[in-house]
Amino acid sequence: MTGNKRTLWILGKTGFWILVIFIFFYMLFPFYWAVNSSLKSESQLQMTPATFLPVDSQGRFSPTLQNYVAIFKDGTFVRALWNSTIVAGLTTLLALGVGSFAAYAMGKLRFKGKKATLYLILSLTMFPQITVLSGLYAVITTLNLSTRLSLILSYMIFTLPFTTWVLTAFFKELPSEIMQSAWVDGATPFQTFRMILLPLTAPAMVTSGLLAFIAAWNEYIFALTFTTIAPGARTIPVAISLFTGSVSRQVPFGEIMAGAVVVTVPIVVLVFIFQRRIVQGLTAGAVKG
Amino acid sequence: MARKDSKLTLAQKEQRTAYRLLIPALVILAAVAFYPLFEVFYTSFTNRVFASGTDEAPDFIGIENYKSLLGLTIQEMPPVIDTETGQPQTDASGKAVYERAVRVLPRTPVRYREWFQFSFFGKRYVVGARDPEFMKAIWNTLVFTVVSVFLETILGLGVALVVNSNFKGRGVMRATMLVPWAVITVVSARIWEWMLQPTRAGLFNMVLNRLGLGDGSLSFLSSPALQMPTLIAVDVWKTTPFMALLLLAGLQLIPRELYEAGRVDGASKFRQFFSITLPLLKPTLAVALIFRTLDALRAFDVFQVLMGNRMYSMATYNYYQLIGNRNMGLASAIGVIIFIFIAVFAVIYMRFMGVDKE
Repeated sequence: MTGNKRTLWILGKTGFWILVIFIFFYMLFPFYWAVNSSLKSESQLQMTPATFLPVDSQGRFSPTLQNYVAIFKDGTFVRALWNSTIVAGLTTLLALGVGSFAAYAMGKLRFKGKKATLYLILSLTMFPQITVLSGLYAVITTLNLSTRLSLILSYMIFTLPFTTWVLTAFFKELPSEIMQSAWVDGATPFQTFRMILLPLTAPAMVTSGLLAFIAAWNEYIFALTFTTIAPGARTIPVAISLFTGSVSRQVPFGEIMAGAVVVTVPIVVLVFIFQRRIVQGLTAGAVKG
Repeated sequence: MARKDSKLTLAQKEQRTAYRLLIPALVILAAVAFYPLFEVFYTSFTNRVFASGTDEAPDFIGIENYKSLLGLTIQEMPPVIDTETGQPQTDASGKAVYERAVRVLPRTPVRYREWFQFSFFGKRYVVGARDPEFMKAIWNTLVFTVVSVFLETILGLGVALVVNSNFKGRGVMRATMLVPWAVITVVSARIWEWMLQPTRAGLFNMVLNRLGLGDGSLSFLSSPALQMPTLIAVDVWKTTPFMALLLLAGLQLIPRELYEAGRVDGASKFRQFFSITLPLLKPTLAVALIFRTLDALRAFDVFQVLMGNRMYSMATYNYYQLIGNRNMGLASAIGVIIFIFIAVFAVIYMRFMGVDKE
């Protein structure tokens, strides 16, 4: 009887670990395949059957960095990296700045129409960007902004409501006594905000800022639409989706995979460093409602 | 100025500061969300052309755009009568032969094209649409949404339950879960596109061929039977971790004591899952479902990268009409339809799950 129980226990444990290992591979394998393919030469990529390591026709391990060299020599990719960094970076700063003002008002100040504003911001976090695609294009043409600036402005649709919402929740949780004692000392509400509340919300800023950055880094539809006539302003997702390579006989998957690795590694590193914060940020809006 | 300020009460001052702080956010959101939304509603009733280059004002054409997108008709298809025998014609397998759909569907004043056919009480009908591509796009989007969100929820719950139990390497697992989430959607689509190549240079064809399945040249992205499952598989890989992370956070909110009490009462693991875990996870599950459903309904990246013009979602069809056909009026109408779809889903969900009661 006890022997039976023990066998069951071992079976359960083994099953559990098989499951864990399976999930692990499932989530990482596509990325591994991208790394593997990015280290293969054109002829290695066309070898059938495909191999799990970059090997030559004799089966010897022979990785090559030529795809990486190619994408960095090709100006398009580097420019796209630069564009994405600028656009995502400035989007984050603007969303955090403007968002923290609004969040302070909604989290800590009393005013008429507060509830309506809160609902407005919340409903905007679910706003379908695709709906306003054509209307936004009209706005941008009217304002006559540069393509990168228009991208930054349009990315406010999905970053600003989000940062505002997350920061409002954090401001609400800060004890009001700190604020009141500052007021008693004669600080204006704005001084209170800048000198006392802002430093306290730094962790929340990092969280929502990271998520805003990743969302902007990821954005495709606006970037694709607005850079149709301005190829110089293409961001990473657009460049990678339209990649034709320097020698375009066929789709240069080696170079695309190298590009995929280059743009994914920094984000993954960032995500690992700030793992806890990101999970908090993702769930802050969702779990607490 | 100072004197005027001092006349205000503290509460009034506070209110004024609040409005000042809100202005930048509201101005930006008005410019990028509310005004464009209004513009899209308005444009959807016109025949405006995208980047027309002329100053000519577009005409107001009422609901013509909506009619041309959503116009449907059902026609009975008469069987073909053999001129010699006077009997209904049959094909080699003995099935009745019907008139071709093109001849049955109306052409004037507007042309209807075949969407699909069906049989009902021994009669054959054809459903014609003024824009079958858009009808298919709606159908594709709905199938994609329902199936992928369902699979993501089940898999995400499984992953969350595994990661929620205590084992060595749990931290590593949690970090790993963030990888698919952090990969740019377009990048993940292209990685999958490469793995799904229709030759044995592609991972899936190589592996399936080794396992004795398929001839090593399955075209996942161009054969109609495989397109939708492929899209769903790619989306499930990318978004299951997000689902799992949300559900994991929900699981961690459930007090451990409840499980201990359950164990003392002799409840099996299954019983514990259905009587403790699931009911307490319901609010988190509801929010996660809303997020994912709304996201899937506006799916663009995966469809655009993997399918291009071979198969549309509502969002990629919108893009195609705007950029490909430069039909801004029609594209705006599609935008409005997507908006309505998403609003309806959001309301149904919130009612059904009781989220708004909180």
